Amino acid sequence: MNKKMAKCIHENLDSILERWEYRMKDVEEERFFHFMPDELIDKTSREFAELMTSNLQYSEAINPEKLADFTEKVVRFGWSIKFVNKSIENFSDITFEIMEEEGVIDQSNVREYMKTFSKWISPHRNSIIDAYAVEWERTVKLQRIALQELSASLIPVFEKISVMPLVGTIDTERAKLIMENILDGVVKQRAEVVLLDITGVPVVDTMVAHHIIQAADAVRLIGAKCMLVGIRPEIAQTIVALGIELKDFTTTSTLQRGMQEALKLTNRKIVEVEN
Amino acid sequence: MECRSSVDIFTEWDIVAARQLGRNEAKSIGFGTVDQARITTAISELARNIYLYAGKGNIKIERTYDNNQYGITIIASDEGPGIADVRKVMNDGYSTSGGLGAGMPGVRRLMDEFNVQSEQGVGTTITAVKWLR
Amino acid sequence: MNMRIPILKLGDILIVSIQWELDDQNAIQFQEDLLNRLHSKNARGVLIDLTPIDFIDSFIAKVLGDVINMSSLMGAKVVITGIQPAVAITLIELGIRLENVMTALDLENGLDKLQIELEA
Repeated sequence: MNKKMAKCIHENLDSILERWEYRMKDVEEERFFHFMPDELIDKTSREFAELMTSNLQYSEAINPEKLADFTEKVVRFGWSIKFVNKSIENFSDITFEIMEEEGVIDQSNVREYMKTFSKWISPHRNSIIDAYAVEWERTVKLQRIALQELSASLIPVFEKISVMPLVGTIDTERAKLIMENILDGVVKQRAEVVLLDITGVPVVDTMVAHHIIQAADAVRLIGAKCMLVGIRPEIAQTIVALGIELKDFTTTSTLQRGMQEALKLTNRKIVEVEN
Repeated sequence: MECRSSVDIFTEWDIVAARQLGRNEAKSIGFGTVDQARITTAISELARNIYLYAGKGNIKIERTYDNNQYGITIIASDEGPGIADVRKVMNDGYSTSGGLGAGMPGVRRLMDEFNVQSEQGVGTTITAVKWLR
Repeated sequence: MNMRIPILKLGDILIVSIQWELDDQNAIQFQEDLLNRLHSKNARGVLIDLTPIDFIDSFIAKVLGDVINMSSLMGAKVVITGIQPAVAITLIELGIRLENVMTALDLENGLDKLQIELEA
C-alpha cells in the first residue's frame, strides 16, 4: 500500500505542489510566497515534498540531517509554526485528493488508507515541529546575544564627562552588562561624571529603577558621579506614581541640560568665541 | 559534576584558603573578573558563616556542567547548630553577629542558584551555583 | 601571615595603600594601627587606596565602614580610592552601599578631593 502511494505521489508531484502552493498563498499573514523568487519557492517546496515522502518508501524515520537542514531554512525564511503546521496539513489533504482522483483510493480501501495516512503524517508533524522549535530557540538565543552586543557603550564626550545612551527594554541580564560597561568605561576614560541617558528606554518600572540606582551606587563607589538624564514626562509620572526614590540622583529632562550640570560639577563651562 | 576540591574551615585563615581556591577555579573555568569577584565574595561569606556559627565545616568547589552550560558550584556544609529560621536569615539587615547582615541574601544575589538545607542541631548545607554566561 | 599595612604621612594626611588580600586579623590590626596613627600624628585626612584589591566581602566592608566612622569621630575626613569595577558591583549586589563615603578614581583624584574638603 505504501509503495503504491509513494508511486502515485511521485508521478503527480508537480500537480500536488502546484495545488499546495496555491493553497498556501491563501494562508493568513503569508509572506514567503509573495516575496521570494519563484525558483527558490519551487526548490523549497520540492524539498518539503521530498521530506514529506521520505519515509513512505523505506518506512524509516526522517533523515535527521535533511530535517535539520530544512527547518533551519524555513526558520530563516520566517515561516511561522502555524504556517509549517498548515503546510503539512495541506500537503496531506492534497495528496489524499489526488490519490482519490487517480483512483488509487476508492470506497473499498478508504479506511485502510486513512490509517496509513495518519501513520504517515503524525510522526512527520511531530519531528518537523520539534526540529522547528529547536531551530527557533537557537535563533532566539543568537538574537539575544546580538542584542547584548549592541547594547550600551560608554562614550567619552569631554574630558571627565562620559555619556551612556540606553535604548530599549532593560532586563536583569542587560542591566548587569550595562553596569559592567559603565564601570569599566569610567575607569578607562577616567570619567568623573557619567550621564545615563534614558530617552530611549520605553518603560521605567521599579525593577529598571532599581537597576539604575544600583549602577549609580556602584559608580559612586569607584569614585565618580552618575546623573540620570532624558527623563520624559511620562517617565517622571510613572516614577512618582510607583514611589521610586531618586533623591540621591541629579536628574534632568534632557541630555543637554545634564551636560551643563556635568560641566558645572567639573568646574568648567562652554564659552562662545567672538571673531 | 567533576573536579572536586575542598577546604576544611577551622580557622580564619581557612577562609582565605577557601576563597583563593574558589578564585583559581573560577578563573580556570573562564569566568570574567566581575564574576570572579562575585564567586570569591560568596565563598568568603559562606566560609565566614561556618567559622562564626558552626565553628568548623567544609567548603567544596565543583565544576558543573548541565544543560549545555558550564558553571561552578559551591557547597558549604557544617554540623553546627543549624539555622532556626531560614526565611529570617535571608532578610537584608538581619544579623546575630553584629555584622552587616548582608551575608546570606547577598550571596543569593551574587550567585545564580542558591539553596539552603538546615536542620537544628544537625547542621546546614548551602549550595550555590554560578553559570558561565 | 601577620604583615602590617604601612601607613604613610604626607602633610596632615595619612595615606594607606592596601596591597594584598586582607584576612580578618589583618583588617582588625589595620583598624587599630590607623586610629593610633591618626591620634599620634593629629592628622586631618585619611586616604585609603584599594586599587590592588580584587574583592571585598561583608566583613572587610564592615571594617572599612567602621574605620571611616571612627576616623570622622576623631575629626578626620576619609577618602577611599581605586575601588575596582568588579569590587563595586559585588559590594552593591551584597547590599553594601557604603553611604557617606568619599570616593575617588585614583590616588591623585583622591588627594585633590581631600585637599578641597580640608580647605573648606
